[in-house]
Amino acid sequence: MICLKQCFSLLFLSIFSFQNYAQSDKDKNLKVGWSTVDITPDKPVLVAGQFHARLSEGVMDPVTATILALESGEGTNSEKTIWISCDLVGISDGMRATANLRDEIRTRVVKAIPSILPEQIIVNATHTHAAPYVASIAAVEGIYGVSLDQMANGKPAMSPATYIPIAADRIAQGVVKAWKKRNPGGISLGLGHAVVGLNRLQALKHGKSRMYGNTNSPEFSHIEGHEDHSLNLMYFWDLNKQLTGVIINVAAPSQVSEHSYKLSADFWHDTKLAVKKSLGDSVYVLAQASAAGDQSPHVMVGSKAEERMQQLLGFGEEGTGRGSLAQRKQIAKRLADEVIDLFPVMKANIEWQPEFKHEKKLVPLSRRLLSPEDVAEATEEAEIWQAEYDKLKAEVHDNPDIIKTPRWYKNITISYSKLRRGLVVSERYELEKTQPKMPIEVHVVRIGDAVFATNPFELYLDYGMQMKAQSPAIQTFIVQLTGSGSYLPTQRSIEGGAYGAVPASTLMGPEGGAELVEETLTLINKMW
Amino acid sequence: MVRLCVLLAMTFWLNVRLQANDLYLGAASADISPKLPVALMGQFHMRIAETADTPLYAGIVAIESRDGQTGLDTAVFVSCDLVYISARLRQELRDEVAKRIPGFNVNKIIVSATHTHTAPVLEDDLEESSFIYPIPEEGVTKVKDYRALFVESVADGIEDAWANRSKGSVTWGMDRAAVGYNRRTVYKDGTSVMYGNTNKEEFQNLEGYEDHDMNALFFWNDENELLAMSVDVACPAQEFEHKTTVNADYWHPVREKLKSRFGEKVSVLGWIGAAGDQSPHSMYRKAGLARMQELAQKTRMDDIAERIIRAVENTYEIVKNDRHTNVAFHHKMENLELPMRIITEEEYIASEKVVKDCQDQIAADPSKAPLLYAKMTWFGDVLKRYEAQQKNPEATYTSEIHVLRIGDAAIATNQFELFTDYGIRIQARSKAIQTFVIQLAGPGTYLPTEKAIAGGGYSAVCQSNVVGAEGGQLLVDRTLEIIDKFWDKENEVSLKKKL
Repeated sequence: MICLKQCFSLLFLSIFSFQNYAQSDKDKNLKVGWSTVDITPDKPVLVAGQFHARLSEGVMDPVTATILALESGEGTNSEKTIWISCDLVGISDGMRATANLRDEIRTRVVKAIPSILPEQIIVNATHTHAAPYVASIAAVEGIYGVSLDQMANGKPAMSPATYIPIAADRIAQGVVKAWKKRNPGGISLGLGHAVVGLNRLQALKHGKSRMYGNTNSPEFSHIEGHEDHSLNLMYFWDLNKQLTGVIINVAAPSQVSEHSYKLSADFWHDTKLAVKKSLGDSVYVLAQASAAGDQSPHVMVGSKAEERMQQLLGFGEEGTGRGSLAQRKQIAKRLADEVIDLFPVMKANIEWQPEFKHEKKLVPLSRRLLSPEDVAEATEEAEIWQAEYDKLKAEVHDNPDIIKTPRWYKNITISYSKLRRGLVVSERYELEKTQPKMPIEVHVVRIGDAVFATNPFELYLDYGMQMKAQSPAIQTFIVQLTGSGSYLPTQRSIEGGAYGAVPASTLMGPEGGAELVEETLTLINKMW
Repeated sequence: MVRLCVLLAMTFWLNVRLQANDLYLGAASADISPKLPVALMGQFHMRIAETADTPLYAGIVAIESRDGQTGLDTAVFVSCDLVYISARLRQELRDEVAKRIPGFNVNKIIVSATHTHTAPVLEDDLEESSFIYPIPEEGVTKVKDYRALFVESVADGIEDAWANRSKGSVTWGMDRAAVGYNRRTVYKDGTSVMYGNTNKEEFQNLEGYEDHDMNALFFWNDENELLAMSVDVACPAQEFEHKTTVNADYWHPVREKLKSRFGEKVSVLGWIGAAGDQSPHSMYRKAGLARMQELAQKTRMDDIAERIIRAVENTYEIVKNDRHTNVAFHHKMENLELPMRIITEEEYIASEKVVKDCQDQIAADPSKAPLLYAKMTWFGDVLKRYEAQQKNPEATYTSEIHVLRIGDAAIATNQFELFTDYGIRIQARSKAIQTFVIQLAGPGTYLPTEKAIAGGGYSAVCQSNVVGAEGGQLLVDRTLEIIDKFWDKENEVSLKKKL
């Protein structure tokens, strides 16, 4: 009887919703188009995400870009948003280095589809640490202190400068495809929970913090910050109420396989497979990371228990524990289970003409105010690493055969990265004097009762929580890493001094963070 | 030949060691519902319940490890739908069990509370408690009568579980479920407020961590029938904390659904992990949660229950074939002497003022007593502690803890509403594969962290705390010392899987 009632309810809702759609103002009609493109390079490339260089040694699973084209209304005045989610560590945008993958994509898309404006295109990264390097178009020697030829030892390899246009071409083609395929559709908004992102900073009893330190220590006091286990979801439907795709927004970067030399989309690959398995092969999954600069998927407390569960789940052969495929599958299961669990309720509550607004603003944020002591400390470190780099380089010079050893370049590229890292502090110190503010691109998109608010950072979770707590939207999706990404830590974290909060890791500090929150909320409030 | 002898000797040695730790298990449930009307514990104002929405239960598991026919060690877990376990209630229960089971070491009985705020008041003696209601002499169940009912019913259950114990098996497992939320809001000026409004510009962050691990133990008898399960959630059962009806809070729907899934006879023990700064109330994203509940035609209670049930079912399916019959089993009860939180003169003066104010208001208008009496006694306890402190500044607070090893799992109890960071410290440094922290296994008072004390706010002020952060760390350290001993090489026993 209950089932019969539910069927009638669904039928009624379906008729009612469709009538609503048919009779409504065309200005609010929503069109939805999806595509996905493979952006896996066909030659070895630099893998981004660690101090040391990694030249890719094959493909664990494809790295992709998923595109969602949205248009509300008709004609030239229609509101448009192109969401592009990339399996990359960050999206270069000219903020930190010369490369600008974001604008390379925009230029190509606008050329192919003149009715789309560059500022209607949002590109975010999932933060997989096993994807091609796109942060710079400089020669590899300028990035890692070792040339690509030396790293590859004569074998074919592709530089970032070569890869970036290829990726931009493919992604732009994907946008064109999604745009052409767009059809009337509806959305439903869901809020679930899944424990995926875990705070990776440990506060010690003496007041300092560290990232990924051992919690099994008498010095350990507590986990420094908070976690956000909410799962913001937006489901998209065609007029037959068939699911076309879903946005999954989770406060966790996808970096389980962060040390891999094989390219991989990390847990999003497994999540997409799990969702498709249950909801259909044609369903797209667009991944977004909410504010999660201080989060990771790595278990900080209780890892032994979790690893045992992975073994009992039968994942033993695939490896268990930190960085394992088992952990990725476990995360994928948690995400997919929630998406699937909410599916019936979402299907019964489709909104065909959601309010749709998109605003982009260049927000000037205060750069982090550094002290001469910060510069002196960083410069001293840079000098140490310079000496180390020089020594290792001399060793290569004296013993050229060293490059025949697999991954021989690890230590020398670490020393070069840390040398560069030390030097940027001085550069930032000088820049702050003449350009105390730095313009940051922020997008705010309202879809129905939900709002999406982007930022280019690895934004510490507290800022996201502040925005969510004060937002007038029913659900607020924070989308981090819609740019090249640098950590944006809280005052508490700066006092703790862990990696992620030190001057070399940051462009902005708490002042910039507070401004970002305030400006984002102002933009959101205007839409309500 | 030599190799064969060595092999036989090793086999014999292993078997002896394994057989030395056979587990005998028994389980029971006890109805601890009060006679109505009854005064409810948990809010400053007095509430008299005329009706009950749900029964109140105690889940019981009795464990004995044996070497052949010789008992080695024991534990009896009693999980109760109560706000805490008063020292008197625990002692009365132990005395009763001692009468019924001669020779049984009643200090091995561990009684813990789920922290439901809609269960009976347990104390009415100002000498024993800092939180006393002016319960009417007539027409309401007397506190001592409820304690007697509790003791009778739970002692029956313990006796039954103990008498019916048989060789059994156990396993442990975990999943993750976001149930508890940190309830202490930190503002930009550095102050903290419990349940402070987060929807304001001054909001900075939530003060502490949340522990979304959900640990579970499962117990079977030798017929492979599931006897009991204990489910450890770092969230007090206080979704319905303001109701004026008797209610077991989220453990009721959880228990009902788990029984329906696993069998009516299965005893479900609700344990609360270290969660002094947690509650089931969302601190932000409230509109989104409310909308989802409306769309799904569910209440927050349904939502909580479903999250826990799903985690238990997931866990059960994964671990059900990894049962252990021969496991290391150790249980140590210890009374810790913890330094008491120092009351400053300013705190004394401020508390004295509040006491005086309450006294004056009640004197002027006795009808205000139900609202103000508990507050008066709560602040009044600060005066008592301050005066005692003047006589003996080094005075300590005696606190009972239990630490157990069951196979690869450790269980550590404490009496407090223990802030989550302490639980995390214990879990992080424990040698066990899985560590269960159970709070409120005794008279509950908040045990806050240094960070929380600095922020202030209810639960971290002197009125809320008999023991402060220094005592919290001692509790952690001593618990870990005992766990470490249980994992000494000499105590290690290889596991033998039954299935």
